[in-house]
Amino acid sequence: MAASSRGSRAFRGIFSSSPTICSRCATTRFYSATAATETKAPVTDASPPAASTKTPYPYDIRSGLVLTRPPLLTRTLHPFENAYFFYQKRLEERLNTPFITSIYFKPDTAAQLDWSLKVQERGGTVAKELGTYHGKSSNAWDDELKVGDQLSSQESVLNSLLKDAAARVSDDAEVIAPEDVVPVERPVERLSEADKKNDVRRLDRQMERTLYLVVKGPDGWGFPADVLKDENLHEGAKRVLDQAAGVNMNTWLVGRVPVAHLVQEPVMGKNGEVQKKGRKTFFLKGRIMAGQADLKGNPFGYTDFKWLTREELEKELSPEYFRGVRNMMADR
Amino acid sequence: MASSASITGLFSRLSLLSRNTTTTATMTTTTTPRLFSTTSTSLARKAPPPAAGGSAPKAARRSRQAPKSENFFRIRTLRRNMFSPAPPPLRMARLRYLRHWTIHRAWQLFRRKQHEAIEKERSRMHAGMYNACEELRKTVGPGSRGEGYLYRVAMEKKGVYGLEGVPIEYARFQTDSPAKEAWNHDWKR
Repeated sequence: MAASSRGSRAFRGIFSSSPTICSRCATTRFYSATAATETKAPVTDASPPAASTKTPYPYDIRSGLVLTRPPLLTRTLHPFENAYFFYQKRLEERLNTPFITSIYFKPDTAAQLDWSLKVQERGGTVAKELGTYHGKSSNAWDDELKVGDQLSSQESVLNSLLKDAAARVSDDAEVIAPEDVVPVERPVERLSEADKKNDVRRLDRQMERTLYLVVKGPDGWGFPADVLKDENLHEGAKRVLDQAAGVNMNTWLVGRVPVAHLVQEPVMGKNGEVQKKGRKTFFLKGRIMAGQADLKGNPFGYTDFKWLTREELEKELSPEYFRGVRNMMADR
Repeated sequence: MASSASITGLFSRLSLLSRNTTTTATMTTTTTPRLFSTTSTSLARKAPPPAAGGSAPKAARRSRQAPKSENFFRIRTLRRNMFSPAPPPLRMARLRYLRHWTIHRAWQLFRRKQHEAIEKERSRMHAGMYNACEELRKTVGPGSRGEGYLYRVAMEKKGVYGLEGVPIEYARFQTDSPAKEAWNHDWKR
């Protein structure tokens, strides 16, 4: 088969008026316009499409951006998960081979002394967070916690790990007195200052949830959006964000595909003329990695902004607005 | 049992080999058996003939007090402890086993609910995108553009793949506790 035969056939299909291909199909038709709309057109006669091409499109196309801050922290585990993991660890204590100190520690070193001191204080249990429990002794059956015992909670696990991390023996193998032991620095609290003050402008609030940037405009609270000016959706969204909230944010537009849309139907007169144009707003999804919004000098009349979670948005946005955008919001 | 025996054999061979190399370093006259070769000569090799008297090998063994290798103590620790017997399987009384079963079933149920919630969330987000794209496909504009223009542009995959597809700042893991400065509010372009 010759290499050029396919191209020539395609050209012939377009230019020749052969009876197998109708002239409508031979004209350029994009894949986005379905054949269904093409076949519908002759049935309803030629007047409505002709009218629609004469009159301007009755919708304003708007492009908006849902700027989200991804969660910074892992989720808080369910108490059942904590309890289950603790249970499994104690079963593992019953099933594992014994810990052989001489494999991991050279005799008469500071590390070995430190280790033996800590294990003695734990009552001989090798695991750090399991309390006093011997998986090989005759009391190994007693591996369940009593109701209300806080030993399996994240807090107590953290405390026991921190206690174990502090050095108890100095480099020259001398036991440090209990009052001289330097405790290991605790990790920063998961609840931030902004959470305690309920400062909705800060970005370090609700750190295990996704936050969404909403601005207060003439129409109430909503995501920043503006009418497209002969540009594509993603360019429009970028421009809207830069104009509305300033450039001092490190953001990333996740894709060009809209994740949510809102449609406001136009008000039509009796003769089919448009009295008030409708609105189609398409929202793209953006992520913020650093920086803060700044509404100073924005041309859209935005007066205030907030970083809210999904539940807070539900209270803040109007119900039909929230119904339009809620599908793009993650559970967390 | 058979595998552990073979490993013990390997270890004894290993120590024998190291001892042999040390002896060859000191006295070059002894012949070293090549342990790991599979050549025809080694296959054809015969076992050494048994010693004639009872006391002769004992004396030979006593005289072979080769210097210990540097790994001697490490190997001794491993040989002593590696082959400890496996712990017995869990035994539980009837009610204890019933509790264990209940915990197991509750965990399975919990996992199932989690999976279903994730599945539901993903399909919901996908449906949102699908509906928005469908609406975009039916949209005319902007300006003099025809129907579906914005949709076709949105479907382009320019800049999605490759090294610049995802910014490196976005590759941040979620952590158990926040950083000392949890968020950089003063970032400037």
